[in-house]
Amino acid sequence: MSLLSKNQKLDEELEQRVQNMLADDRYTDHPMREVLEQLWTAVGWQLARLERITNISDRYQNAARERVRLLSRRYDRQIRLLERVLRISDRYQSMLKDLNVALHEASTHDLLTGIANRRLMSECCRQADERSTIDGSTYSLVVLDADHFKLVNDTYGHEFGDRMLVELAKIFKLSIRSNDLCARWGGEEFLGLFVNADLAEAESVVQRLLDSVRSIALDFQGAEIGITASIGLAQHALGETYADTFRRADEALLVAKRRGRDRYVIAP
Amino acid sequence: MTQHEQPNLNLPSTQFSPSVEADWQAGRLLMIGESYPENTYEFFAQIIEWTEKFLGQEGRLLHVELRLSYLNTSSIRAMIDIFDLLQEASDSGKPVSVSWLYDSRNPRASELGEEFKEDYTFPFEIAALRS
Repeated sequence: MSLLSKNQKLDEELEQRVQNMLADDRYTDHPMREVLEQLWTAVGWQLARLERITNISDRYQNAARERVRLLSRRYDRQIRLLERVLRISDRYQSMLKDLNVALHEASTHDLLTGIANRRLMSECCRQADERSTIDGSTYSLVVLDADHFKLVNDTYGHEFGDRMLVELAKIFKLSIRSNDLCARWGGEEFLGLFVNADLAEAESVVQRLLDSVRSIALDFQGAEIGITASIGLAQHALGETYADTFRRADEALLVAKRRGRDRYVIAP
Repeated sequence: MTQHEQPNLNLPSTQFSPSVEADWQAGRLLMIGESYPENTYEFFAQIIEWTEKFLGQEGRLLHVELRLSYLNTSSIRAMIDIFDLLQEASDSGKPVSVSWLYDSRNPRASELGEEFKEDYTFPFEIAALRS
């Protein structure tokens, strides 16, 4: 028998005994009968009170338990939501990063030929100037211009002219060393930056480059059209900015054009 | 209240927020642009309110068309709130659908649509939009 049911049995026995005594005629006039009766009533009242308190307490406990359950469900939901928001947000962030790379590529490269544009070339030339100031290193600039480009455009059309520029850019890029840079400077003019290259080094590259240009044969309605280009070449002089060096190379280019094109001229 | 008295919601796009066209008569909510408003809560509150009202009062189809190229984190949260509303409506038998249209030049945007779609059971179309 459990303790609880044992106690209950005792309670029931006591209750029975008290009821019996209160009902017994022999104790009607006993002085303690009235006290016992009052005590018994008080006990009943206290028991009812205890039960009420227990009920209220149980209700509170149930409500608290329900609240914890709801809160923890809401908490789980919020955590899932947070994880989802973060995951999507991370994706947007990495997408923006990719777009940024693509934008950078687009803003530094020429749309038609795919080689560097003037913006990127200017920046690289500026850096070459800085290096030169710091460690005295040198560089050479090569300005290449397609010969008779306007005439080519007028004769064969702009689409052919574009193909010619693409071909020139390709050849230029293939001719330079891995650390060098070539860019479309504007129109039919290209610029090469040969880092740590003196005139002798640059000249050998330029000779190869012109040979390659001469070997181009572009198809036009079944006919092969050859092209040529002229080049001006200048080595950076200490104290010069790249703009100065460029000006000298550009002047050399004009000399090359005047001398009949399809050749290079070294700036003094 | 009759349908004709229901307000439409028309917000022009700004640099920071998408254009919003909520057409009660047509049962259509359209959002186009980028979303990173200064006060995301205020901006989306009006859209959420309109959506709740429509779903609460109408049994007709609500079609939500989204061409959103960029959402900041709070806007993502707000969009999930809208999708959750749609799911709730769908669970109670109301017809809803979503079209997530992305720029075909940016294929990664489709992954974002998939991420949003996740567990929703209502029709959620993800398609490329050639702009």
